[in-house]
Amino acid sequence: MKRLFAAFFLLLLACGVGVAQESPYIVTYDHHLEEPGNLEIETYTTLGVPRSGQNFYAAPWMEIEYGVTGRWTSEFYLEGQGTAGDSAVFTGWRWENRFRPLKREHLINPVLYLEYEDTSEASRIQKEIVGGAPDVESPNSDLQPIKNHELEGKLILSGTVHDWNIAGNFITEKNLSRGEGFEFGYAVGFSRPLATLASGTPCHFCRENFIAGIEFYGGLGSTEDGFGFRDTAQYVAPVVSWQVSENASIHFSPAVALTGQGSPMLIRVGYSYEIRGFTTRLSQWLGGKH
Amino acid sequence: MRALITGLLLLGLGDIAFGQNTTYQQDPNWQVPTNAASRANPLARRPEAAAGGQKLFHRNCVECHGEDGSGLVKKHAADLQLSIVQQQSDGALFWKITNGNPDRGMPSFSNLPELQRWQLVLHLRSLTPSKDAPVKQK
Repeated sequence: MKRLFAAFFLLLLACGVGVAQESPYIVTYDHHLEEPGNLEIETYTTLGVPRSGQNFYAAPWMEIEYGVTGRWTSEFYLEGQGTAGDSAVFTGWRWENRFRPLKREHLINPVLYLEYEDTSEASRIQKEIVGGAPDVESPNSDLQPIKNHELEGKLILSGTVHDWNIAGNFITEKNLSRGEGFEFGYAVGFSRPLATLASGTPCHFCRENFIAGIEFYGGLGSTEDGFGFRDTAQYVAPVVSWQVSENASIHFSPAVALTGQGSPMLIRVGYSYEIRGFTTRLSQWLGGKH
Repeated sequence: MRALITGLLLLGLGDIAFGQNTTYQQDPNWQVPTNAASRANPLARRPEAAAGGQKLFHRNCVECHGEDGSGLVKKHAADLQLSIVQQQSDGALFWKITNGNPDRGMPSFSNLPELQRWQLVLHLRSLTPSKDAPVKQK
């Protein structure tokens, strides 16, 4: 086991080059999947700025994303949450899969998304917003015991026009633990690299390493409470990603609430690190021929 | 005759040592639409842009195609030096970079801006064939 951990960290340190142009979105998904055999390790945090009567909270999560094939990406999440003046809790895990039914690039590229969540009601990462608004006021002692086993589906539609990525996600979620009906949500994003021509020399701060854009996301009600924007949390969020090295990128997004529900502002920061050819490297290390 | 056999053996050993995929065969189902193949490279008159293409190639392609583009056998990647690749039009190479061939492990690089994909094409043209093995037709 020790050897496996040592190998894992050695791979992290010694692995080679990675892919450029990470999507800057935090909530919206575009049609680009992970390359087959690549492993991406990401860590994000949602910081919730409180309204009166709320407490500041930080909800970190970690994603491990793997390209199973060129048209199938699988991702595993671990998440937690800490609230000022309250407590820090582990809020659960998620397993998502994205499938791309069409082989080639089209004007609009569909991707099908399916996720299983085993989380508690104290989850505040807000990786997506469905139904009304998350409860950010009740104490963790009340929320943590409430477990949610949920299935979530998304229809992702995305395309590129003149180097602008335009992506829209329609989200539906079903809580298998309780009768909450089906909850709905959406996310829409627009983004573009700051430079479209690569310079001939290595650089960290040149414009080609930055992608900027904007996201809109929020709940769309549920079959129980009615479809629409009533009593839902809605956010507008500028997004930026910076390719700091050939295999690492940093993401930042301040989201501002457009309604009186949920937190008035969410500040999101993230770091992702990609290991190219992970499967090959692992099998080589384990003595395989691959 | 002995010299020829020795030469072939050395060539074979060299291929194994460096992992060159000189026996690469094109996927007959990976066909480029005619209008895409006829597109001209907008950077054709800007050879200085090839330097950026080299950088992009190093970031995105070397893992499977190798530094010199000769293709790694273990990755089943194309030897980009072969005439079967170099004879393709700029538009065809651009289309293949953009769309990929997921069933054969070639990812799509449509996440790169269009000009950067054309820069990659410029760099591909600079990959000099060290040798050209006979291409097996399916």
